[in-house]
Formats: sequence, C-alpha cells, structure tokens
Amino acid sequence: MNTAAYIARRLFYGLVLMFFVVVLNFVLIRLAPGDPAEVIAGEMGGITQEMLADIRATYGLDKPIATQLAIYLGQIARGDLGMSFFFDQPVAKLIGTRIGATILLVLAAQLVSILIGVVMGVFAARKPNGVVSALVAVFSTLGYALPVFWTGIMLIIVFASWLPIFPVEGMRSARFEGGSFAYVLDVLHHLVLPAVTLAIIFLAQYARLARASMIEVLGADYIRTARAKGVPERRVVFHHALRNAVLPILTVAGLQFGNLISGALLVETVFNWPGMGTLAFDSILRRDYPTVMGILIIGAAMVVVANILTDLGYRLADPRIRTEGGRR
Amino acid sequence: MNELSRSAPERAASPAAEAWRMFRRNRPAMLGTAIFLTMLGVVIYGSLFGGDPFEIVWAPQTPPGEDGFVFGTDYLGRNLATGLLVGGAPTMAVGAAAAVLSIFIGVTIGALAGYYGGWVDNLLMRITEFFQVLPALLFAMVLVTLFSPSLVTIATAIGVVMWPQTARLTRAEFLKIRELEYVTAARAIGAGNGRIMWRVILPNALPPLIVSATLTVGVAILFEAGLSFLGLGDPNTMSWGMMIGANREYILDAWWPVTFPGLAIFLTVFSVSLIGDGLNDAFNPKLRER
Amino acid sequence: MSPLLDVRDLRVEFATRHGTVTALDGVSLRLEPGETLGVVGESGCGKSITALAIMGLIPMPPGRIAGGSIRLDGEELIGAPERRLRQLRGRDIGMIFQEPMTSLNPVFRVGDQIAEAILLHQDVSRDEARTRALELLRTVGVPDPGQRIDAYPHELSGGLRQRVMIAIAISCQPRLLIADEPTTALDVTVQAQIFDLIRDIQDRLGVAVILITHDMGAIAEMADRVAVMYAGRVVEEGPADAILDSPAHPYTRGLIGCIPAIDPALAALDRLPPLAEIPGVVPPLHLLGQGCAFADRCIEAVDICRKVAPPLTGRGHAVACHLHAAAAASEES
Repeated sequence: MNTAAYIARRLFYGLVLMFFVVVLNFVLIRLAPGDPAEVIAGEMGGITQEMLADIRATYGLDKPIATQLAIYLGQIARGDLGMSFFFDQPVAKLIGTRIGATILLVLAAQLVSILIGVVMGVFAARKPNGVVSALVAVFSTLGYALPVFWTGIMLIIVFASWLPIFPVEGMRSARFEGGSFAYVLDVLHHLVLPAVTLAIIFLAQYARLARASMIEVLGADYIRTARAKGVPERRVVFHHALRNAVLPILTVAGLQFGNLISGALLVETVFNWPGMGTLAFDSILRRDYPTVMGILIIGAAMVVVANILTDLGYRLADPRIRTEGGRR
Repeated sequence: MNELSRSAPERAASPAAEAWRMFRRNRPAMLGTAIFLTMLGVVIYGSLFGGDPFEIVWAPQTPPGEDGFVFGTDYLGRNLATGLLVGGAPTMAVGAAAAVLSIFIGVTIGALAGYYGGWVDNLLMRITEFFQVLPALLFAMVLVTLFSPSLVTIATAIGVVMWPQTARLTRAEFLKIRELEYVTAARAIGAGNGRIMWRVILPNALPPLIVSATLTVGVAILFEAGLSFLGLGDPNTMSWGMMIGANREYILDAWWPVTFPGLAIFLTVFSVSLIGDGLNDAFNPKLRER
Repeated sequence: MSPLLDVRDLRVEFATRHGTVTALDGVSLRLEPGETLGVVGESGCGKSITALAIMGLIPMPPGRIAGGSIRLDGEELIGAPERRLRQLRGRDIGMIFQEPMTSLNPVFRVGDQIAEAILLHQDVSRDEARTRALELLRTVGVPDPGQRIDAYPHELSGGLRQRVMIAIAISCQPRLLIADEPTTALDVTVQAQIFDLIRDIQDRLGVAVILITHDMGAIAEMADRVAVMYAGRVVEEGPADAILDSPAHPYTRGLIGCIPAIDPALAALDRLPPLAEIPGVVPPLHLLGQGCAFADRCIEAVDICRKVAPPLTGRGHAVACHLHAAAAASEES
C-alpha cells in the first residue's frame, strides 16, 4: 500500500475514534446527576434563568435525544467546543491560547527522555553486566515509583529554592525585556525543570527498552556482516545497530503520548505552566464542564494525531512495513 | 544454578512452589515485601489509632523534630505524623480497589478477544484502542468531577481508565495458549468454551498476569495520589496526595510537609515495584540471565 | 611459494557456565593463493569458530585466543591491532555467511550495503562506489541490477540475497574468501548456482577460498584440498581426491558414506538427506576428556583411543587416528 492511501486510512480511522470520543462526552454529560443545562452551565452560581434557557436552545435540550446528539456533533465538527461560562470565552479560544505550551512541554519531555534513554540504553547494552546497566535498572524502578507531581516539587525545592538556578514557576519571566532570541532562551530556562520532571518517568522505560533492543540487535547476523566488512565499531553500534534498535522504541513512544499528556497535567499544575493542564485544573475546580470536556476532546485528538505521526515515522524507519503495508 | 538443582530433592516441585522459592531467594523482592508489609502495618495501625489528622495541634510549619513533632506540622499547624499514619489508608484502599476493577475488566475483555478472535477480537480491541486514546488522568478527572468525589467514584474512575494494558496482555496470552495441545485436548473431551477459558487457559496465563497486576496496583496508587494532589480526592478523608496538594503553595517556606507524604507514596509504590520485578524473575528464571 | 594463509596450532577457548571450554584445540591449516580448501565436519566441530578467528571476529569475552598463530601473507594476525584487522577485513579477506535471510541489514538498501564496503577500504567517491556496486551486482548475476541496487533485503529472495552477500565479500577484490556454509539455507537448485558463481569468481579474481560445509558433495565439486574437523581438531587433511577416494579416518569414512547418491529424482524430491549415518552426536565440548574425541562413536575404537589423543601425522595426506598410524606402520615394516 502506498503512503498516501495509508495516511488516508489512518486519518479516517482517527476521525472514527474522535467521533466516539465526542459521543462519550455527550453521554457523560447526560449521565451526570442533575439537569444537563445546569451541568453545562457549571456550578458557578448566579446562573440566571435566561442563561439556562439560552443553553437549552443552543444545545436543543428540549428536543429528542438523537437530535441533541446530532446538534452536539454538528457543533464539534464546526470547531465549536461550547462556551466557558466561568471564563466567559469560547472554549476553543481558551484552549487555543494554552495548547502551544502543553505541546512544547510534552515534546521537550519526549525528546529528552528518548535521547538520554537511548544513549543510556546503548551504553548499557555494550556491557550488559556493567555499571550503566545497573543504573538503568535502578532508574527504571525509580521512574516507575516516583509520583511525578512530587518529583517536580522536590526539583523546585532543590534547584529553584536552595540552589536558585531555575525559575520556580511559569513559562516566562514576569517583566521580560529583550529580543526574540533572549525570549526563546527565557522560555527554555523555564522549561528545564518541568520537562525534566516529566521526562524522568519515561526516561527509565526508554533506557530499559533500548538496552534490551540493542542487546538483541548486536547479536544479529547483519552486525557480524558489518564487522566482516571492516566497519569501525562505533559505526557498527550507532549506524548499523541503532537504526534497527530504535524501531521498538518508536512504537512505545507512540503509545506513551496518552500517558505523557496525563503526566503533563500534573507537571503543569506543579510548575504553573500555562498549558491545558492548568486550564483543566482551574476549570475542574470551578466545575466549568464545557472547558473540561473540550480539553478531553482536544487531548484525545492530540493522542490520535501523535499516533498517526509515529506510525508514519515507523514506516519511514522500517522499509519492511512500507512494502507490506500492514499495521503493526 | 547447577548446585541449586543438585541440592533440590528429586521430587518435582509445583510451579508455584518453585516460583515462591525463587522469590524468597531474591533480595530486592524480599526487601520490597518487607517495606510493603511495614507500610501496610503502619496504615492499618494509623486508621485504627491514628487520631484526627485535620486537628490543629501546634504552631504552623514547625520543623520536624522540634517540640516533639517527629515530622513537624503543616501550614495550618496540623500534625504531619498523624496525617502520615492516617493518610495511607485511602491511598492503599483506592489503589487496591481500582487495581482489582481494572484487572477484572482487562482480563475479561482480553480473554474474550483472545479466545474468540475474529469479529469479537476486532470489536473489543477497537474499544481498547478507544480507551487508550483518552488521556487517562484527564478522563479520570472528568469522571470524578461529574460524579462528585468519594472513595467509590475515585476507585471506579481509576479502574475504568487503567484496564487497556491488562486487556492487551491477557489477549496476547490467550492467543498464544489457545493453540496449545492441552487446550485442544480439553476441547476433545467436551469442555465448553467457558470452562476452557477460565479453567484451562486462565490458570496457565496467570504468571504474567500476576506480575502485571502487581504493577497495576502501583500505578493505581500513583493515580489516587495524583487525583488527591489535584484536590479531587474525597475532601473529608486525609490522604498522602492531599497533604502534598494542600501544602504545595508553601514549599518555599517549609520543605517537610510535602516531602514526607511524597516519600511515603514513593516507598509504597517502590516496594510494589520490587515485588513485581521479583515475581517476574521468579516466573521467568531464564530472563534473569539477560 | 609461501602460503597465503598459514594457521598453526590455533587454540580458542570460551568461558561458559560449565567452565572454560576449548573450542579449537591446536588447529593448523594452510592455503595457497588461488586454492580452495574445504573444511568439513558436523555442526559444533569448530569450523565456524576457525573462520571467525581468521577474521578476528571471535567475541571476546567470552572467547579467548589461547595460543597459536594465524599468518596472512606472512603477517601475524593474532595480537594485531584492531585498526589493522579492520583494514584487512572486507579488503583482503571477504566472508559469506550461512544465513542470507538475516545477514543483510534490513533497514539499508542493498546497493548502499555494497557501496559501504567499497567506501571503507578505497578512496573513491560515493558515485563511483555506486557504479562499482552496480557492476558487482551484475558480476554476481543479479538480474536487473539497475532496479535491484535500490531494493531492500526483504524484497529479494534468499538466493539473490546470498548473491548480494557475495558481492559485498568480493567488492574489494580480496585474496581470501571465506564461505561459511554459503548454501545450507538455500533451495537445492539455488545451491548449485551459488557454487557455480563462487567458482566463476575464483577463476576471474584468482581468490583463494575456504569453503566451510558439512556437505561432502560440495567438497567433491569445489575443493582442491580438504580438512576434516571433529570436536575442535583437524582429524584428517590432504588433497581432495585422496581423501574422497581413500578416506583414512573412520570419521571421514562416515561422512563420505553420507554423500547423497547423485540421483536427480531424490534431489528433486526433497533436501539432501541429513548426515545421520554415523551413530551418536558430537559430544559437548565441556565433556571431552582424554583420548580421541571420536572414540565413543567409532565402531573400530580400541583401548588406546580412549586414553591418548592421536596426533595428526603424515605428509600430504595427514590423519589423526591410532588405527591408521598402526596400519601405516605395519605396511612400512
């Protein structure tokens, strides 16, 4: 199957998944105790009868349930995620101002954990009983057992309070002055601690996986072939072996996106990172359901997109998949 | 290894007994068991005799060790030692209940998918994929807020978001085992589908499922702690995660109110993880040599 | 004339869970330029270890070269710096492996895998290396090389992949080509084609070949001289004709008894029959004691065979067997 047809199929399947996410949202609002109109309005107090009537009209709440679903789906399809009554803004717009920060954090954490994890895994694989291997084993237990929000707080206490190297919170300095380059540096400076916090959970997993995968690949026949050709050892490891060993890492990286977004939620809250996580936190405390539901939909959409992108990356990295055209 | 097998008597030990023997010899696993039992003991003692963790007893933010407060007091002047004693119960209870629920859903769906294959497998796996697309914590947050936080809703919400991995693992095991000869043999003597699934295949799929179940308990505990930290726990029940969440505004003034509850969570999950690794080694002795 | 390759008294040990195991126990081989030496024996006899030792590719640890010498054109390879060995590998010594299905890197195009060998050892541009790779594919008889050069290994059949492996091995016109069971994994018809190709290349490039196999038929067809290995030792060595016509070691006789009848009906039916006609199996190396390693399987074994390991004696056609030594002695007297 060629790549275009493959992308088309994956996109279609992604849309089907998103359809069910929206339906699930719809069902949840109806399952929640109380009048759906009041649920949608949120428990903010001071809702007037006109507002409730307005909501009933917009969502067609007096119509049959099927019609209500159709109306809801229609709104979502147009990109209308509803109105946040607490923030007094369209939910789509609210999320739009926050999504960039979350993507930045998630990608930075993913990048850091894969890079360091793979490097650790490669060195561990060269000596399966060596120091790095032991470190990888210890790290993977730690990475599993550390509550991510607590790690973040500990890092703040150590690296922002006791040793004031990094800022305590936020994404940019309060009174920032300077050019765009300095601005980028300022954001990166703020990004270090949150990204590291989030990366710690996943780093160990990637290191463990990379180690196992590298050990297996280094024993493969084609590695012997490379050595028999006279390929220098460094090139054997980093060119011939690594290209094959990253394939399972890529698969896992794709599956991790949902967990990354969950982790980002907590990390953002700890560091006051102005992304979707803090927005979700704020709106849940205010019972601002349209915003919460919108974030759930967009979060799911991010996972779907990330999965499609990793599948595409996998097709690029593994020529065998490309011609067979099958899914993993 | 050689000596080990020589010293063993000739009679064949059952696989479970063999695994238990391997497990007992595994120092990290025994350490994990010791830590876990200690934490469990503390939690049980705490929920019986711990006292009221919400009671304000002394000056706020008394450092640990001063004025007789081993762990100090929090930003309101509540005794952290009491909180630590009492706050483990909801975490562990919710963690265990959520893990049981998620294993129940996961094993059922995975077993049906793996055993029947075909369209059943296809449908159930699509459902599993659907749940994997939802960011678990976010979904759990939504469930808890919609249905108001109580220990039951929290455990349910966590259980509902965690099962897909168990389902995938169970399905893979069932796919593998259903092709084996003793399954065919069971079918030949007329065993029904239900009997084959639960009495023939499931017992043989147990080792990896037990390992995964152990790790699921750890993840569930972290989930509960995360939700409580965000303030989505049961507001009337003190928990370790809630202690961290309540004190996090003041971390720059006092490190101890957040550090100790976090350590407690970490130790619990860490011990569970050591036990899980030990079980894994005990069930797959060959893997250890890698 | 000095030999191209001179292996003397090579000893290789491996550390295992059962202690140190001697995988090669005093192996000596000589190879003249352009000559084909067949190395035969059942699996586990040390054939492949010998090949890897010559390539300097014994994994260390757990392996260790415990003694002996390997000279290529007079140059000692044991203890030579890795940098020098790397130069020789692929340039002066090419190697073909048993498993064409897994011996090529699945994520690189075959043309690039050939060109890599050329670029490593010769000062040529990428374009030039590609042109050479194309020529090589033509040389090894890959049909439609212009297309195949950009193929990935999984897009080629086993026979074609082995041809690509041969192209890699000869890409720098080596003086020595080691073929380790090059056809074992292939269909019978393809086997013959690959042997034809190796012979053709030998004629054209004048390369010396070490053909490792357990297939006496292949030896009969290809080899000038033969070394028979058993449990890490050479038990018989000499001109191919002499060994095939009058095998002296009971083990060799057993192996030759295993040559399949040249029966096309049989060949078409299935793979070659397995070498199961010698009773028993090669003993695990860690269980070898004193005496001749073959004694337990040998129907002619006498007391001394179980006590003293026989040395390899005789010029031209050498044999390591007490019985043969006794027979030869009685003939002379």
